[in-house]
Amino acid sequence: MKRNTFYLLAGIVALAEVGIFWLSVELERPILIQVAFVLGVLLLYAARRAVEERIEDERTAMITQKAALRTLEVFWVVFFAVSLGSAVIAFSRPLGLRPPHPGPPGTAPPDVLELPFIGGFALFQMALLCLMIFLYVGFRMYYARKYGGWDTDEEQD
Amino acid sequence: MKNRIKVYRAMHDLTQEGLANELGVTRQTILAIEKGKYDPSLELAFKIARFFGVAIEEIFLYGDVTERK
Repeated sequence: MKRNTFYLLAGIVALAEVGIFWLSVELERPILIQVAFVLGVLLLYAARRAVEERIEDERTAMITQKAALRTLEVFWVVFFAVSLGSAVIAFSRPLGLRPPHPGPPGTAPPDVLELPFIGGFALFQMALLCLMIFLYVGFRMYYARKYGGWDTDEEQD
Repeated sequence: MKNRIKVYRAMHDLTQEGLANELGVTRQTILAIEKGKYDPSLELAFKIARFFGVAIEEIFLYGDVTERK
């Protein structure tokens, strides 16, 4: 498989995932997008292995390892800090995963976390995962530059 | 670590791309080694030396060049 074919396939898979996501929302079946996402990633991993011109050597492997390690080091701190904040919010009032008991007559219903908040948190988690991707790409670029990946020489002219 | 890959490459009339293909690495790796930005593994260093048919210390110079004299 040629590199451009792989990029085309990746685009098609991404579009299909977006469509399946909306279908999943419409049908109220989260398992649909979850399975589709895992299958999509597996398909892309398999396709990437079939790309012909792709050469991976010890230097590119080292850059990948270093970038992954740095991403993990930064990301776990960010993720843990955000999770701590979320835990404080969650523990500050009763969880409202189901309609609360109205309580004794004449008293106000208990203050609970509402379902839209949980949906918002899911979106926030996805934003954090996007941050992880940006961090990884940034570190890759940094190490590729550090280990001479983008240097110019007389043969490039 | 300094090296004389560029010299040996010129002696064998090889481009970076050509040498990279012979060794099964990317052209950027050869470029990074030549510029001293990346020190190859022992295995790749031996591969390079064997490809040019010389001892490894003829190509890779540890520390200052004057130390060898």
